[in-house]
Amino acid sequence: MLFQVEGLVSGYGKIDVVRSLSLHVDEGEHVGLFGPNGHGKTTLLRTVSGLIPAKAGKVRFRGEDISNLDARLIVERGLIHVPQGNQLFPQMTVQENLTLGAYVRRSDSRKASNFEKVFALFPRLQERRAQQARTLSGGERQMLSIGVGLMGMPELLLLDEPSVGLAPLIKEELARAIAEIAATGVSMIVVDQDVELLLGICDRLYLIEKGAVSLETADVSQVDQAEILEMYFGKVT
Amino acid sequence: MTLEALVAIIAGALVSGSLYALMASGLSLVWGTVRMFNFAHGALVMVGAYSAWYVSNRGGIAKALQPIGKSIVASSEDSGALGSLLLPLGEWILSIKGGFGLALGVPFAILCCGLVGYIMYVLLVKPFVGKPGADLIVIITTIAGASFMQNGVQVIFGPRYKQLDRILKGPPLQILETAIGLQEVLIIILTPLTLFLLHLFLKHSKLGLAIRAVAQNDDFAHLVGINVSQIYPLTFVVSSILAGLCGVMLGGLFFILPTMGAQELLFAFVVVVFGGLGSLPGTIVGAYVIGFIRESSAYIIDLYWAPVVLFATLIIVLIFRPRGLMGGEDS
Repeated sequence: MLFQVEGLVSGYGKIDVVRSLSLHVDEGEHVGLFGPNGHGKTTLLRTVSGLIPAKAGKVRFRGEDISNLDARLIVERGLIHVPQGNQLFPQMTVQENLTLGAYVRRSDSRKASNFEKVFALFPRLQERRAQQARTLSGGERQMLSIGVGLMGMPELLLLDEPSVGLAPLIKEELARAIAEIAATGVSMIVVDQDVELLLGICDRLYLIEKGAVSLETADVSQVDQAEILEMYFGKVT
Repeated sequence: MTLEALVAIIAGALVSGSLYALMASGLSLVWGTVRMFNFAHGALVMVGAYSAWYVSNRGGIAKALQPIGKSIVASSEDSGALGSLLLPLGEWILSIKGGFGLALGVPFAILCCGLVGYIMYVLLVKPFVGKPGADLIVIITTIAGASFMQNGVQVIFGPRYKQLDRILKGPPLQILETAIGLQEVLIIILTPLTLFLLHLFLKHSKLGLAIRAVAQNDDFAHLVGINVSQIYPLTFVVSSILAGLCGVMLGGLFFILPTMGAQELLFAFVVVVFGGLGSLPGTIVGAYVIGFIRESSAYIIDLYWAPVVLFATLIIVLIFRPRGLMGGEDS
């Protein structure tokens, strides 16, 4: 097993947002997380990548307990978190943002070939190489976010709400790119509200409610979309 | 206004603008990255001047070494084989009674300021990083640190004023019948060069990029694997070196005394706010603008009115541009 979360508890101050959450990702697997806002999906990712401390439970990556490790050491192990929204270095160029994506030692030496890969996936970033990140459109910023993540050479990529706030056409373009990344064999956890997008990418889905897994699907090819929507919204009577 | 007066004002503006730019860029860098104001920044100017003086001047380390040199020479005379080895060392020490010169003094000042900046971060800032109210606590701890350094220097070096040797000796430059000292010319030329080096460091080196990254988005800096807790002290060291260079330049213009740097710190704060908090280009443009306003109001109105005119300008600018000349909008 590549990645495993066991009974994880975390949150902000005295408030627990993630309450005893457990899930796992196998090597090469793509797992989707969905569920209502404010129920701990982003907090889960922030805890896994070391931005906030875990109060209890374990996070294992390749068998090693990485909970409460320094964020940079987690990045160094190939677990890369692409955060939600406009999390970029706004007053730096696209090129500088991507360069910083390869900051850690393991990706620094492969920078040149990774630049090529990112530009092949998102040609628009190449066109806007010298432009400051804050001047990009919402879709381009999301592309850059993912590009920065890829520069770090992920073994497990955590994508937080890649499609939020995007126009349908751009969303489709992005979904195609994510599927392309998935096809290269990178393991992934994708968090999104858009179940349809998740179904196009993921092998398995978890429904997260009140800080824990409330439902887990088997292989998505076995379940149909109506069932998943039912999981989400309850039975329509 | 005569042409000579204009030349004098511009030259004066370039000199004081240079000194403000060196000092304020360090303040701005620390504010942008660590989100704290370092009130000991002025004391670092003083540390830079004193450490350069100590190594370069004949009243400094050279004077302190003379008795040691004499005793080595004396003892070498009555101890055989070892003595003949010690004699050249003793004679060498005696021969440097004029000091090591600025060629060694300036690098020593840079080293000293970097070290003091690092120690200052560890003692006065690091314990409070990430704690509630840290920015206010650090104002107090750095004021305490500045006072400690000023009084420490007074105890070590005594109250007598000191002065650095001038790097270039010779008659002043004559431009349109206005005399401009060579030290001033040197400051006008070297400061933009230093700032350009700072620009290259921040734009093209890995650590420089990391400093800017932490300044712009420290959460995301964590996520790309930057060791943020190392970047903070690095920023302090870089900013302290800039303050030290400012001290070396000031020490060649005016007297060196324990409270030097305090007045410059005040003006540097004005520059940082005026230029736009955390914006380095804004800070540098602001420094020269403030320098020009100061010099021209000192010439046209009166030297003692210069601060009044400065603060009035600052208030007017802030009314129309609350974030300063080049301060960005909040995203």
